[in-house]
Amino acid sequence: MANGRTRAVSRRAGGGFSRALIVTGAAILAVVALAALAAPLISGWGPEEIDANATLAGPGGAHPLGTDTNGMDIWSRLLYAARLDLGVAVAAVALAVVAGTALGLLAGYLGGWVDDVLMRIVDIFQAFPTFILALAVAALLGNGTVNLVITIAAVNAPAYARLVRAEVRSIRELPFVDASITSGASTLGVLWRHVLPNSLTPVRVIAPLNCGWAMLTLAGLSFLGLGVTVPGAEWGAMISLGSPDVVAGRWWTSVPPGLALLVCVLGFSLLGEGLQERADRRRTS
Amino acid sequence: MRLLRFVARRLLQVVPVLLGVVVLTFVLVRVLPGDPIRTILGPNATEADAAAARARFGLDKPMWQQFLDYLKGLVTGDFGTSIQSGAPVGSELALRVGPTLELVVLAVGLALVVAVVLGVWSARRADRFGDHSVRILALVGNSMPEFWLGLVLILVGYSALGWFPAPSGRVDPDTDLTPLTGADLVDAILTANGPAFTSALSHLALPVATLAIVVVAPLLRSVRASALEVLRSEAYLAATTHGLRPRTLLRGYLLRPALVRLPALAALVFGTAIGSTVLIEYVYSWQGFGQWALRGLLYRDYPVVQASVLLIALGYVLVFLIADVVHAVLDPRVRI
Repeated sequence: MANGRTRAVSRRAGGGFSRALIVTGAAILAVVALAALAAPLISGWGPEEIDANATLAGPGGAHPLGTDTNGMDIWSRLLYAARLDLGVAVAAVALAVVAGTALGLLAGYLGGWVDDVLMRIVDIFQAFPTFILALAVAALLGNGTVNLVITIAAVNAPAYARLVRAEVRSIRELPFVDASITSGASTLGVLWRHVLPNSLTPVRVIAPLNCGWAMLTLAGLSFLGLGVTVPGAEWGAMISLGSPDVVAGRWWTSVPPGLALLVCVLGFSLLGEGLQERADRRRTS
Repeated sequence: MRLLRFVARRLLQVVPVLLGVVVLTFVLVRVLPGDPIRTILGPNATEADAAAARARFGLDKPMWQQFLDYLKGLVTGDFGTSIQSGAPVGSELALRVGPTLELVVLAVGLALVVAVVLGVWSARRADRFGDHSVRILALVGNSMPEFWLGLVLILVGYSALGWFPAPSGRVDPDTDLTPLTGADLVDAILTANGPAFTSALSHLALPVATLAIVVVAPLLRSVRASALEVLRSEAYLAATTHGLRPRTLLRGYLLRPALVRLPALAALVFGTAIGSTVLIEYVYSWQGFGQWALRGLLYRDYPVVQASVLLIALGYVLVFLIADVVHAVLDPRVRI
């Protein structure tokens, strides 16, 4: 009896924790998105505007977070960078979800040689660490914004394809799919109406986590000079530009953009973790 | 004996995968844009100079001929000559692998210990304050840009406090360390060089800490999840109701089943660690494999790219093989 009660209580408490995670994550992301949108209103300087009188100026005065080696205002670049980082990450994950889901649906529903060929390609992609793969693809494609979106989407799509394929294979065997086929629905109709919506459940949980990872990848690529390059305003590129100053003890060039990146990715992680836990609880209870 | 047969069978399965990797890298690196010859010649080089350089590296031959030459070399252990440095790729590789392995092994080892201790601790306090704090910390670790963390640790540990050496070099040159394996810590122990040992250790501290913090988060999460699963299982409940001693309960009934999945996870994390190592080596100017492979990729140094891709794939496959063997040893239900 006593055991049953404490379990019920702890489950409720845990539900509160997952809600707190989701709310905090969403709030962080909302603040970052707002700051990105309002950048021209609250920045004071343009993202690539140079103040020739103040290179490597410390925080304070006309530059609340100081300036970098080029005399560009860190605070303003931080805000404008949020647009690029959020935009590229979300676009890349959206593209990966669409492409991966389409491939997974095809492979899972058709089976046979289509399934074999697609899954062997996925195997090859997944035989390498994802960041290494992203490095290679970025080095080959070159570093425009569109190319970066494609790079990050390409290394993420195989995981979605595998995930959706597994779901489709189990959904295909369910009675209601048979029922709609025997009642005369077309293959496409069944896929679109019944299989697709039901196979997206795990994707919804993983996509936010993946957005955070995409953002770290973009910043990592830029840090190595394979992503956005200065004067483009991107957090990883800003950290990279400021890294020689760090050894000399000038913190303001690299620490603020990294902090912004960490907080934003954390927003996605909190949201993803909360969603994951909620999904797990539903499954077990 | 059965274990040996298992390892042999797995190694045989690996051969086609590695062959695929060899062919694919060879073709892709040549088909996609970028010319390695242009990067070693000056801006004033003529077409004739370029053709001469191309002939020197055998790049003027037809592709199938180049591939056969490459395969012939591989069989005899010859990885070709680096276009950038002109040195044999095999000996460059030998110099670079030690420092990186030292970094990755220490960091993953440290992360494993921390993950097991904190993960089990957290699971036993599920949904209480301690558990929530550990989970939030793991999420922060998961969201951490490792290259930025490296810079922050340099800022605090070197620039502000001065406790750790500057981020350049791996051992103090004054200690006269005789290089043997390339892993300075191991070399210092082998040559019984005390000062070199402490110097290597202090150079390693910050990069290892950076990598360990990034790697510990996913491990911690899954140790917690599997420990929680065990704690809520009927077998564990039965063991507790029998009134076993807490230590027996912890060691025999919680740790062993909870840790069964750990080898497979450590293998997966090894992949993340390789990716992060490229960034961390860059931050700490650590002259390891990651920096070497990155430079090869940037300059389209074909032999270097081929060798490093092959090595990463081989390392990945071997780590998963080791993980399977450890899993089988830990879990008597697994038949190999």
